[in-house]
Amino acid sequence: MNSKKTLGSIFKALAITSSLTAASFSFASTLTVSSPQDPGSWDPIDTFLVNWASVATNIYDGLTYRGPDLKLQPGLATSWQQLDDGKRIRFTLRQGVKFHDGENFNAAAVKFTFDRLMGDEGKKGPQRSNYSAIDSVEIIDDYTVDFHLKAADPVLLTKLAGYGAMIVPPKYIQEKGEDFFNTHPVGTGPFKFASYEPKVGIKLEGFAGHWGGAPKLTNLNYRFISEPSTAVAELQSGRVDLIIPPTIPIGMITTIEKDPNLEIATTISPTVYAMRFNTKNGITKDEKVRKALIYGVDRQAIINSILGGQAAQIASFQSAISFGDDPSMSPLPYDPTKAMQLLKEAGVKPGTKIQIDIRGNDATFNEVTQAIASYLQIIGLNATIKPYETNVLLNDIIPAGKTGEMFQQSWGGWTLDYDNTAYFMYHTGEKWNPYDSDPVLDKKLESQRSITDRAKRLEILQSIANYTANRALEMPLYNLNAIFAVSKKVKNFTPVPDSRLRLNEVTVE
Amino acid sequence: MANFLMKRFLQAVFVLLAVTLIVAFAIRLTGDPALMLTQGAGSVTEADLMLIREALGINKPFFVQYFEFLKGLFSFDFGRSFLGGTPVADLISKSLPATLMLASAVMFVSIVISIPLGIKAAVSKGKWVDQTIRIVSLVGLSFPNFWLALMLVLMFSVWLQWLPPSGMNGFTSFLMPAFTMAIILTAINVRLVRSSMLETLQSQYIMVARAKGLSENTVLYKHALRNCAIPLITYFGLQFGGLLGGIVIIERVFNWPGLGTLAFDAVSSRDYPVLQAVITILSMLIVSVNLLVDIAYGLIDPRIRTE
Repeated sequence: MNSKKTLGSIFKALAITSSLTAASFSFASTLTVSSPQDPGSWDPIDTFLVNWASVATNIYDGLTYRGPDLKLQPGLATSWQQLDDGKRIRFTLRQGVKFHDGENFNAAAVKFTFDRLMGDEGKKGPQRSNYSAIDSVEIIDDYTVDFHLKAADPVLLTKLAGYGAMIVPPKYIQEKGEDFFNTHPVGTGPFKFASYEPKVGIKLEGFAGHWGGAPKLTNLNYRFISEPSTAVAELQSGRVDLIIPPTIPIGMITTIEKDPNLEIATTISPTVYAMRFNTKNGITKDEKVRKALIYGVDRQAIINSILGGQAAQIASFQSAISFGDDPSMSPLPYDPTKAMQLLKEAGVKPGTKIQIDIRGNDATFNEVTQAIASYLQIIGLNATIKPYETNVLLNDIIPAGKTGEMFQQSWGGWTLDYDNTAYFMYHTGEKWNPYDSDPVLDKKLESQRSITDRAKRLEILQSIANYTANRALEMPLYNLNAIFAVSKKVKNFTPVPDSRLRLNEVTVE
Repeated sequence: MANFLMKRFLQAVFVLLAVTLIVAFAIRLTGDPALMLTQGAGSVTEADLMLIREALGINKPFFVQYFEFLKGLFSFDFGRSFLGGTPVADLISKSLPATLMLASAVMFVSIVISIPLGIKAAVSKGKWVDQTIRIVSLVGLSFPNFWLALMLVLMFSVWLQWLPPSGMNGFTSFLMPAFTMAIILTAINVRLVRSSMLETLQSQYIMVARAKGLSENTVLYKHALRNCAIPLITYFGLQFGGLLGGIVIIERVFNWPGLGTLAFDAVSSRDYPVLQAVITILSMLIVSVNLLVDIAYGLIDPRIRTE
């Protein structure tokens, strides 16, 4: 009897404690994210990696902000005015904002951030070149700054929403030093830094003092897992709640969809794929041949069969969310008869060899290329695929103009502005344009760079898209979706196109 | 013995110098890290690239860079990672213990299992015990290690949910990576111990020992094992070296934060300082293991010392 009573009271006590713990758990929630790569530094000017942005978007704020709907909104600046024909921008800054270390955000912090970016510290990093339009930042009063520009830059406001332009705390950096800042970031974002273990992960905590309100999560942990099957196993065993792109290969989607606890969330992304042509040598020198090759490949069939429908056809080398996309353009249809006729007109004999250079590490794209090769076989060409190590292809083969007749080009561009693609792909002498030189195109590309009138710019960008499609400078393939794998415990999660995930609204059950 | 050690030590230093020189040279053939770093940044001018190269210190002549590396080596200063600027020594001091721990555990498990099993197989040559051990070890040998790793993850993490699929966090996360490699190594070692033991057991002194009426265990473990130890130690030593190199795949699959992961990331981002440091450390380890093996020879077999 006595022992029964004791047991009973023990159980009661246990029940109370466990309900207490359950209660306290409902206040504290943790989201664990699998990210494919450790960017090595959390300083905004040290990196161009999307994997940096997917974490640091939660730590820092920019003067402007671009949410999941991709519209530009006020960030640390509440409003802005273009002055002097776009050569000066006046920002009114948000008041009462504090950095995670308690320091005040004001005009001095903005000036410090950009002086640092354009100065000695910024010289060491890759971000500076993105902001080269900025000449100087002038403090008007505590909460007003003027950006003086060397030339108008229509994309600058978008650029201020990310990467190098994230606002950093002057006092903290001056006192603790640049090295310490690299591994102990401080910003004004919704989450503050807790701990970082290189190659393992970074942990953040919700920052109650955020100007936009405290985030719903208490803890936000990122783990760096590069191997897709490992990341998926972690998700399946419940130790990771979210896998962000570009980890999940198309082939793994069914595995995740079959698991009752998991789901796939996709959205359109800025990532586009194309086979670009060597317009200087070989049979692809001839525009007719280039068009024939495009007619000869059934891109929709490739999307349906190999990509499981997770992509959309494109008519120019940009996605539908890119500023400059012309929705009235349509991709050249699949027409093998026409392709063969064009090849004949161009004097290309059946059995002519054509080489396709691709990145060797992307299994899905390998399959896509094999399909392309067999379509080319159908129209009488003898295609060979040459896979390279990614870095070698990107840094040594393409810029040096040593590719075959066709080569893979995948492109993202976080500014979602066609200029960020078109200028680098088509302007004479650019790294990604080793073959072509077209004065008409050069002029078009240059002319839109200094125009701040959006409608006018859009018109020029769309005309560039049409012009390059007419010249068939590449075979536009598809716009791949951004693929996220999520545990069903995660609520309020919205997949974003550009990997810049702000997770302040997310909760975990 | 002192002479012998001195000679071996000097040889080791020479090997290390040669390795670092070759590595430093070969890495620089892979391309320009400045291009790598700016790959995703829009328009980059040659002037921007020059600034980055200057900041990274790769605009200096090769031998200046090499000597700076050697100088740093003495104070365990390997420079800074090109990707993010973390001191390489910090990265190494975190990942080296992780790799050593894993590799030692694998060696330990495989030796502890393979010696008794190998001896058992040798003693019962041709009988069912021997056959079974040989077949099982053949099966173990035939697994590619990444496949075995994925199967273990599927079974123990996804289905049974007993063990964490990746990471380094406590004893449980240690089991799968260690066993994946140990299974394959053990399979190899069992066969090795068996054949080495078989050879020894046919020697005359074993017959003499048996004729003296010594117990079977004394014959096996005191007389036979000591004599077949030399080839085994050589082999285990080499194996440990190979293990350190081969651990890259396992570390990647299990997301183990060791030297392999570090090297893998460094290769893909042309991070010269990190790669140079990892290879130097690995070769130092391999050279020292070989040195230890040589010393162990001397201790086990006095004839080698005097040669």
